[in-house]
Amino acid sequence: MTAPVAAPPAPTRTRVSAWAGNPWAGFLFRRLGRLLVSLAVLVTLAFGMIHLIPGDPVRAALGVTAPPDLVDARREALGLNDPLGTQFVNYVRALFSGDLGVSMTSGVPVSDTIGQRLPATASLAIVAFVVVMLAAIPLGLAMAVLTRGGRRRGAELGFTSTSAVVAAIPEFLLAVGLVFVFGVSLGWLPVAGRGGGSSYVLPVLALSLGPALLMARIVRVEALAVMDEDFVRTARAKRLPPLRVYVRHVFPNALTSTLTIGGLLLSGMIVGTVLVENVFAWPGMGMTIVSSILAKDYPVVQGIVLVYGAAVLLVNLVVDVLLAVADPRSTIREG
Amino acid sequence: MGREQWRAALRNPVGAVAAGLLVLLAILAIVAPILWGDAAEETDPAALSQGSTSEHPLGTDALGRDILLRVLVATRYSLGLALLATAICVTAGVVLGVLPAVLGRRAGRLVTAAVNLAVAFPGLLLALFFAVIFGVGARGAVLAIALAGAPSFARLVQTNVAAVAGRDYVAAARVAGVGRFRLIARHLLPNIGEPLVVNATVMAGTALLSFAGLSFLGLGVQPPAYDWGRLLGEGLDRIYINPAAALAPGVAVVVAGLAFTLLGESIAQVVGVRAVRRRRAPETEPAMTAAAAEPDGDAVLAADDLRVAFPARDGGWTHPVDGVSLTVRRGETVGIVGESGSGKSLTALAVAQLAPDAAHVTAGRLEVAGVAPLGRTGAEVRDLLGTRVAMVFQDPMTSFNPSMRVGRQLAEVTRVHERQGKRAALARAVDRLRTVRVPAPERRAHQYPHEFSGGMRQRAMIAMGLMSTPELIIADEPTTALDVTVQRQVLRLLKDVQAETGAAVVLISHDIAVVAQLCERVVVMYAGRVVEELPVGRLGAAAHPYTRALLASVPDLATDRDRPLATIAGRPPDPADRPEGCAFAPRCDFADDACRVRPGLSAVAPDQRAACWHPRSRPLDLTLDAVTGGQA
Amino acid sequence: MRELSFEGTTVRFGTGRSALTAVDGVDLVVPQGQVVGLVGESGSGKSTLAKAAVGLVPTTGGEIRLDGAPLRTGRDRRRLQLVFQDPHASLDPRMTIGESISEALPGRRRRSARAAEVARLLELVGLDPARAKSLPSGMSGGQRQRVALARALAAEPEVVLADEITSALDVSVQGSVLNLVRDLQRELGLTMLFISHNLSVVRYVSDVIAVMYLGRIVEAGPADAVLSAPRHPYTRTLLDAAPAFGVALDDPVPADDQRLDTEAPSPHDPPPGCRFHRRCPIGPLTRPERTICAETDPQSGAADRPHRAACHFAAEILEVPAP
Repeated sequence: MTAPVAAPPAPTRTRVSAWAGNPWAGFLFRRLGRLLVSLAVLVTLAFGMIHLIPGDPVRAALGVTAPPDLVDARREALGLNDPLGTQFVNYVRALFSGDLGVSMTSGVPVSDTIGQRLPATASLAIVAFVVVMLAAIPLGLAMAVLTRGGRRRGAELGFTSTSAVVAAIPEFLLAVGLVFVFGVSLGWLPVAGRGGGSSYVLPVLALSLGPALLMARIVRVEALAVMDEDFVRTARAKRLPPLRVYVRHVFPNALTSTLTIGGLLLSGMIVGTVLVENVFAWPGMGMTIVSSILAKDYPVVQGIVLVYGAAVLLVNLVVDVLLAVADPRSTIREG
Repeated sequence: MGREQWRAALRNPVGAVAAGLLVLLAILAIVAPILWGDAAEETDPAALSQGSTSEHPLGTDALGRDILLRVLVATRYSLGLALLATAICVTAGVVLGVLPAVLGRRAGRLVTAAVNLAVAFPGLLLALFFAVIFGVGARGAVLAIALAGAPSFARLVQTNVAAVAGRDYVAAARVAGVGRFRLIARHLLPNIGEPLVVNATVMAGTALLSFAGLSFLGLGVQPPAYDWGRLLGEGLDRIYINPAAALAPGVAVVVAGLAFTLLGESIAQVVGVRAVRRRRAPETEPAMTAAAAEPDGDAVLAADDLRVAFPARDGGWTHPVDGVSLTVRRGETVGIVGESGSGKSLTALAVAQLAPDAAHVTAGRLEVAGVAPLGRTGAEVRDLLGTRVAMVFQDPMTSFNPSMRVGRQLAEVTRVHERQGKRAALARAVDRLRTVRVPAPERRAHQYPHEFSGGMRQRAMIAMGLMSTPELIIADEPTTALDVTVQRQVLRLLKDVQAETGAAVVLISHDIAVVAQLCERVVVMYAGRVVEELPVGRLGAAAHPYTRALLASVPDLATDRDRPLATIAGRPPDPADRPEGCAFAPRCDFADDACRVRPGLSAVAPDQRAACWHPRSRPLDLTLDAVTGGQA
Repeated sequence: MRELSFEGTTVRFGTGRSALTAVDGVDLVVPQGQVVGLVGESGSGKSTLAKAAVGLVPTTGGEIRLDGAPLRTGRDRRRLQLVFQDPHASLDPRMTIGESISEALPGRRRRSARAAEVARLLELVGLDPARAKSLPSGMSGGQRQRVALARALAAEPEVVLADEITSALDVSVQGSVLNLVRDLQRELGLTMLFISHNLSVVRYVSDVIAVMYLGRIVEAGPADAVLSAPRHPYTRTLLDAAPAFGVALDDPVPADDQRLDTEAPSPHDPPPGCRFHRRCPIGPLTRPERTICAETDPQSGAADRPHRAACHFAAEILEVPAP
């Protein structure tokens, strides 16, 4: 006897009833609505960042020795003397025309800097993500099959402890270790800058090793949990060959969490590039944001935070849509 | 978590090493700055940027300061800042996480939505954002890391609080008039303590590593102060000259971070369920029931002294099924009745070669559909048993693959075992769905299991067993999850199927009335053994006190409402802790010294056998007329 | 002990496509000192009704009254106590059973007075008062359910609601809990709403039986009358389906008619007219002339029919057709 618990209806529910005819339309409508709200919050925060800084950001950027009239002129140029509301409207309006402002230190438009730096960061994150998925899913499934029902305790212990240790090492320390081994000691691979394929090896390895092992662990745990489900027992009762049981019955049902974690990892890796880029002097946005924070070049920081944030939100959107497609019960689509 | 569990966490080698490392680090954090604080600041113009020497084992930095000493002294600052950040983060997280439970519905939802939005962003991005606001430096970094971690911690608290808040005991406390704050203090927080401790420990490790990251980027600790991250950043510039200058602080960070993380994980492991360890097979005692089941050429199932053992906590084995003998003839319907823990379901799974991986199945003899499966490989069993044994499980909700259409799940049987094409197999699936009276079978075959109601799913499960011609259908509590009206339909369907296919049916149920309706013969199990087997018509003359008590204690529509129900004192024994001799003796009114020896099944009447030293012979006076009237 | 009455009580969950009226205009009186048994299948809304009474789910319509006065505040609701289905879930694993019971005692009392009261209650439900200091983890399901009953009684309720309190128990302990419920009710003159999906169990403890189907009470009356001469075909179907010794599956009952819909309707989208008409053995699927069942909701005239039955043909006693 189970009555449905009074689930808090999503705020957009009442409007959704108009879309009731098509669950997909309703889902996309709601999901895009959420994306817009998130983007609005992101933009507001990026805008607010410069105003949340204690003291005068321009004074901070130009230094205490800068003449007051220069500071004031710069404030005027940045529009910081306008009322807050006007500033926000101007900021959003500029955003829509692709104008992210101008660097305080170099005077170069922020959008130019980002346009120049984005490809390096994006290529690094995407290559690393592909490596993670290609390595982690087969590894995790294989380990699940090998260690099911308490089999091969040694292999299980080895895998879980190795992966726990390696996954806990942050990417920048791994990067330093890789630089030492493959760059300094062995001298096999370049350790700085972005060039041909070989320059990708160490940064991608540093960025993907931890997430790959983490992902493999999660895939294994999920697959093991699915193997305990009643319907896998049903599949065994049908006397299906083990391979078919794993491929048809276990893996598709472990997919949901794999996708969810995959999305989280990709988000993490996009931002994780900041550290790795700084180790390998990789000419991406990560190098730029750090130097801009140190130089208090706030418009650049604002712009890059926006790009990272928007990328993360997009990844989340894609993951949610994939989940809705993959899950026939469509719990996500239902809201 | 109890003291026992902490101890268990430390007994785990990983946990012990991690805890040891943390103690070492704590001592170092206290002692190092006192002993070497000044020496680490001492500049040596004669030894600038040196590599390893006898005087400076890890070399010196650009100002000629000893790197080993600086790494050791930095322990206090690095750990202190990380712990401070963790403390702030955990506090903020708990407050944010509990807030929705304290605030009204609307405000609570707003907090949850804000946390959900923040969680979508990786911690490092949040940390960078806060680092800009709070400024570059140790104070800013502590706040940045704490606030960046707070959303995910808050979410953790929220999910745990929500899980606990949904439990009946919280509802019961609310009904009893317990106030909101007492509810949180007495019921919510104590019950989410374990995951919080574990995650706070892991969080400390994460904070340490994040701090090193920020310092490494130059956004954290500023000179002249130094922590491991700062030392690492400085060392990296000269990694070609003196690798140790970069590696030493790096190793320190990794070791300290891992110590926290691994301690958290080993606590989590102890708190959670321990994996079952495989052990050497248990030694089986020889069968006590000498000639239990006479060999029967007509048997579709013959089991003799069937035992199923699981590894026990203490290193021994428990036997949830402890010497069961069972014969089912072709076309017969046999009911196995017992309470939870009687071993009835496990008996069925063991017979069908579907017992869990950790189980160890032995038997004096086991033949299923003419096949002796024990000792054969999985592939052989699959080949030989094929589709001869069909299973119907208890919960039709969970027994279908949720991500596969029902028709395909049925067709799969034919495709694999008869190598039929997709189309032919699906056509047969539709036909079988029609046989079990699933309405609109063509359309239904294309639906997913969640689109079926419970009763329809159980019909589809029976249809799955009919994809070829089974000799034996084992139905394990097939109607327990269903409503009575649906239960009747499913039981009738089983009866029809049995009549049409001539397959033998084994129906397992806790409800003796259900069994009596469908079956010809009843096998009563208690504590892993068969205590009585008898034809349904003789239920009124049940001989075993347990069978009689079961019959008398369950009210039916004819029970006398003016008299108290018959009851059985005590509860069924735990499989790990069964009494010697007759397992029912402690609850039995007729037990005496003789019952200290385990009774074997012996005939008390033609076709009726009971495992009891004191079988009853007086007819039962419950709703006796009904029992004998209908079935005799 | 007082009289609990539901007047047009309605509980709705969600909006739009997933909207669900779990309880739909229920009128039901639990008279003082009597046990009303509420029976129905899963999803019929019987548990939701109990939860609404104690304020665990908000009502969206109607009134719940105690002795005529509507229940509004938490203090009002405390005069009703609910005993839950699963005794393993309804006791806080970290509190001793004494603490759990003591927590429910109303008003300020001295520690010794509380302990004495807890001991008295434990004794009342047949447990050794010395067990007040033990945690629930060491207790069996039957013992825990006794503790849950003691906790409910500790709040000095006017009405006790028991929601499937024996369904999670082993058959061999179920009987003793039912005996306890009966003894307590007689000893203390409890007013009770006893909910179960099992008609035999409800029959054993109840003075009045109410039958719920898809959020509505379809029949209510004195237990003997409802059981011996049911006026709603759904009650009859439930009686026929209850497994009983001596009733073979082959003996056809009206509900076995192959023309009837075998699938329970979705509570999200209840059928028009009489909600039971597609499964009804005397409805339009077996008697095509009875179009009224598919068109007119029989709920409206229920109060004037025998057993307040929500059936257009309640005057007619259902008979088993010859096979």
